[in-house]
Amino acid sequence: MFAGILTLWGQYFGNFLGGLGISLEITVAGLAFALVAGAGFAALRLARFRVLRLIGTAYVEVVRATPMLLVLYIMYFGLGQVGIKLPAYWAAVIALGTFYAAQFTEIFRGGIQSVDRGQREAADALGLSRWQRLRKVVLPQAVMTILLPSTNALADIIKDSSLVITIGLSDLMARTYEATSATFEPMDMFLLAGVMYLVVYLLLSRVLGRLELNVQRRHG
Amino acid sequence: MFSDVMVNSTPSDIAVDIRSVTKKFGERTIFGDVSLQVRQGEVVALIGPSGAGKSTLIRCVNCLTPFESGSIMVLGHELHGTNEAKRGPSREMLKSIRTETGMVFQSFNLFPHMSVVDNVALAPVLVLGTSREEAREQARELLCSIGLSHRVDAYPRHLSGGEQQRVAICRALAMKPSLMLFDEPTSALDPELVGEVLGAIRALVDRGMTMMLVTHEMMFARDVADTVAVMADGALVEIGPARQVLDDPQTDRCKSFLSRVLQQKAPSANTSAPSMGAQIAADAPTQEHEQARDTDRKRKHAEEVER
Amino acid sequence: MNIGFDTSQMLHGAVLTVELAAGGVGVSLVLGALGGLARSRGPRWLRWLIVGYVELVRGLPQILQLFILYFGLTQFGINLSPFTAGFIWMCFYGTGYAIEIFRAGISGVHPGQLEASTALGLSRFQSFRRVVLPQAVARMVPPLTTFVILELKNTTLLYIIGVPEIMYHANLLASNSQPLNIYLIAVGFYLVMNMTLGRLGAYVEHKMSWAKS
Repeated sequence: MFAGILTLWGQYFGNFLGGLGISLEITVAGLAFALVAGAGFAALRLARFRVLRLIGTAYVEVVRATPMLLVLYIMYFGLGQVGIKLPAYWAAVIALGTFYAAQFTEIFRGGIQSVDRGQREAADALGLSRWQRLRKVVLPQAVMTILLPSTNALADIIKDSSLVITIGLSDLMARTYEATSATFEPMDMFLLAGVMYLVVYLLLSRVLGRLELNVQRRHG
Repeated sequence: MFSDVMVNSTPSDIAVDIRSVTKKFGERTIFGDVSLQVRQGEVVALIGPSGAGKSTLIRCVNCLTPFESGSIMVLGHELHGTNEAKRGPSREMLKSIRTETGMVFQSFNLFPHMSVVDNVALAPVLVLGTSREEAREQARELLCSIGLSHRVDAYPRHLSGGEQQRVAICRALAMKPSLMLFDEPTSALDPELVGEVLGAIRALVDRGMTMMLVTHEMMFARDVADTVAVMADGALVEIGPARQVLDDPQTDRCKSFLSRVLQQKAPSANTSAPSMGAQIAADAPTQEHEQARDTDRKRKHAEEVER
Repeated sequence: MNIGFDTSQMLHGAVLTVELAAGGVGVSLVLGALGGLARSRGPRWLRWLIVGYVELVRGLPQILQLFILYFGLTQFGINLSPFTAGFIWMCFYGTGYAIEIFRAGISGVHPGQLEASTALGLSRFQSFRRVVLPQAVARMVPPLTTFVILELKNTTLLYIIGVPEIMYHANLLASNSQPLNIYLIAVGFYLVMNMTLGRLGAYVEHKMSWAKS
């Protein structure tokens, strides 16, 4: 019986690996989008003007309230109504980016605000400009607080990338689903996919987490 | 203060008998072969540099921490080292030891989710089976006697450190203990709040309470303690009448500790007693106190990193 | 208000969404409390079992978990209806999440609290019940609010296997009229739910303000 599973796994492994590649590609693109947009919205949330802060807050509140699947459908199906027809791949990347930008906004904001007030005052007392203060004093200290939740967010993006099965992209999840109907052994196929997702997840959470801890120890 | 605190006496004259106790954390020996007796009504102050094992020793007395070898007799109950006893102390024995001894911690450890009066009344209700009304009434009386009648219904976080520690003392007294253990009761306090807590402890001493007191307040120890025991480097280096040990230490280790505590001051440790006392009160406690707070902060940080 | 289509079906879906989330949260909290307790106080083998379970819940994509229950089990002749499979998944996922919340809540209580109650003579159970648990629960309010909102959002995935919750009805409507408007109405629904729960959480947190030391 085990031999049966292994043969089946061997048969589909290459196919699944290709799917995982697509999953990771979407993940990385989505992550890049989310990081840039997140930094922008974090700047808004920490801006001096009330209106800007309000925009930042509203974005975070609305997006965090919305399920990822709904964001994806808005990008892929919804925008068609106003004449924007995105290919599935870009809809997926933009949806992941939009959704996780809100998470990263909060991660960045939390990191920056976690830096002790006294540090800012010390920088001001030394006559550093706002930009110098952020660049040389605040950010280096905020990095530690930002790293861990960022790793978690990245793990979440990988998992959520599986939602693209619903808009017809051929990622790991979609290929798994196809394989289940081809082999009539759904559990065996899900197990293989599960192992692959878990390996990626554990690599991320354990290895990256350990690395971060080391960095953190070194910087006290 | 504490006019209604009854000091129970047990038949034996010895309240605590610590016989060659050794305590280890893993491979590291915290202290080895420590022996110490506390008579009924005696006040024993434990002093010494940070990390000498003073706090751990009094934690062993009410079994908050197990120890490896030796034995401790507490108010007639025998505790044995984990290396020697087949089984740990019975649940009943632990309960009686903890009921009959009161403990006051460095960081107060008041229960933040209960009002002051409920903090004090909790254990009498749960452990002694006192009715809720009676326990609260007794708690109120205790709190009044310590000058906290206006704080009865407040929550701990609204209290100053000094007030919190006085509530913690009431909480321990509510169990009508015959032995009180104080673990650096003033080390976490701002200097101006130390006095009110020491005042409360002094009132207990005047009522004849048996006490073991870990402290960095040399002047206070000299003043209220019958006996001072100096711990350093995992051993009891000197023990004797309070004034004798503090004014005229015999061992080198004790001398060097006291001179470090007294540094920048009197040319010799043999200055006349009152003036030396005043100097210690003025400087030494705060210095030690800073040190204690510093280690505490470091520990907290380590805990957070751990998490 | 006439917005060009009938949204009453979506309202039915919304009700089902709330029911599913409420049920899932309820079951998850009970199982999560037990699991969290076992995770911090139980025997070693049980702790490892629970750690494994939580990692599985956190490491696998939600759709995969759902598909395993709905499609995967058919390999062993177990055919669950979409609703049953969906609800079991909500509980399975929620329990893993709740275990972590309870564990963190319990371990976050300062060890000095347990020491103090032990020194007063309270038994292990009394210490836990009267001193540790109330403080743990107070610490758990913010993550629990997040958890309820998460379960609410998770119901959308059940649409994929055909449970007629709000997303399902939104899609039916979207296929023959303005999809963006429909989806934005769905966003509005989630936003209202989110804000209501957020307010509720903040209120409970305020009531437990003693927990902020």
